[in-house]
Amino acid sequence: MFNNAAIIGVGQSPYTRRPEPGQTALHFMRDAVVAALQDAALDANDIQGMAVASFSLAPDSAVDLAWKLGLSLRWLAQDTNGGSAGMSMLGNALRTVEAGTAETVLILGGDATGLAGYAKVAANYNTATQKHLSPLGHGGPNGVYALVASRQIKKYGLLKSDYGHIAVAQRQWAAKNPHAVYRAPLTMGEYVGGPLVADLLWRFDCVSVVAGAQAIIVARPDRAPKGRPGVRVRAHRASYNYDNQLGDGLQTGISTFADELWREAGVRPDDIDVGSIYDDYPTMVLAQANDLGLIPGNDLARFCRVTIGEQRFPVNTWGGMLSAGQPGGHAGGLNGISEAVLQLQNRAGERQVNNARLAVTTGYGMTMYRYGGTAAAAILERVE
Amino acid sequence: MISAPTLGVTIWRCANCHAGYFPEPLLCPRCHGGAFEIDRVLEAVVEEVSVIRHMISQENWQPRRIANVRTADGLHMTVGLRDESGPGATIALFEEGTAPFGKAKR
Repeated sequence: MFNNAAIIGVGQSPYTRRPEPGQTALHFMRDAVVAALQDAALDANDIQGMAVASFSLAPDSAVDLAWKLGLSLRWLAQDTNGGSAGMSMLGNALRTVEAGTAETVLILGGDATGLAGYAKVAANYNTATQKHLSPLGHGGPNGVYALVASRQIKKYGLLKSDYGHIAVAQRQWAAKNPHAVYRAPLTMGEYVGGPLVADLLWRFDCVSVVAGAQAIIVARPDRAPKGRPGVRVRAHRASYNYDNQLGDGLQTGISTFADELWREAGVRPDDIDVGSIYDDYPTMVLAQANDLGLIPGNDLARFCRVTIGEQRFPVNTWGGMLSAGQPGGHAGGLNGISEAVLQLQNRAGERQVNNARLAVTTGYGMTMYRYGGTAAAAILERVE
Repeated sequence: MISAPTLGVTIWRCANCHAGYFPEPLLCPRCHGGAFEIDRVLEAVVEEVSVIRHMISQENWQPRRIANVRTADGLHMTVGLRDESGPGATIALFEEGTAPFGKAKR
């Protein structure tokens, strides 16, 4: 339980599929920082620490970004954990504030790679990808998760439409999110009629690359704006390289710490009011939800058809990356945390979940070879 | 330059506990031994197949087949498939440069 650190502000840039000429990831990150500072009622001079994750910083690094943002800091970190970077940075920021190393920490993620830039990132993700996957024409993460999806479908007896329930439900949420790139309704018919990208992934199973950024501010609870419920993190856990890529990818690193996470949080999966489950693919939403114990009896099909399809449990209420877009996995992961904060503070507008008090958020990423090697999760709570 | 295909695929076998790995590790995940011997696996069984029908930012992309395969001692790797082999088929493995490929065993 983090009693001396809380999330006190969130902010994001607009998301777009096509940035204006000259508009870089740094511009999107600047916009997210300005929005988060305003949301937290802080001045840039109040920020004492920063954690950043982006594919677009090089050749700059975190300190160059601090310079460009005019931030003089006493704590600085650059995270490389892809889709779990947001959660990883959140954990580090909470512990940094609790330790008194910095009173206020800005967490930042953003990218504007464009399609060609993203393709370059995907083909050169690590040495295993460069040497052993890219020469196959493996299609980046789509090829990797197409094989994982095949295993999941086979193991759990899923239908194509089961993944569709996740995509369709998230599009319904996205329709209520002014920042989402895809807001037009998506029917199950359109989902199942979408073209195959890589067997067995169809178009609406895959996130769209967008440009954008997200920022979160962690600080001592007494720095929170007056009159707004604070958001406390009851528990946070992370896992890195949990199985040396020797498994089947149908479990994530969350499986290594889920029991401990719930025990420390002092709540159970069925206490949760809203979930932000990292959604690079519906396959991985199911894998993480199952690891968390959100799917009774490991019945993934029922979870899709009933729990999600009949809107019994709200997941990715911002539309997820599947509908809002993926501004790199770093910012995409942060978006899930931001949304949980807005829900718990009753600030989610049309998509507000009634009386949301507890949220679970996850991150998953770094497709090292056969599946992702990093994962993290947290239980967030509204504090009156 | 495209390398000529080489029969089999290189794997790294721990000199201490003999577990096989692909890609190359620095320490054995099982026993943390630091010495490895080069070995070659010549065949594997196809477990899942995907056809990559679209490649981001690529026009005129021709579909490619990839597969998750399992070797006799349980090692999994992702290979490019050069024929229509499907799940359950035993394929012969070969390397082009550092990349593993496979096709039906004759």
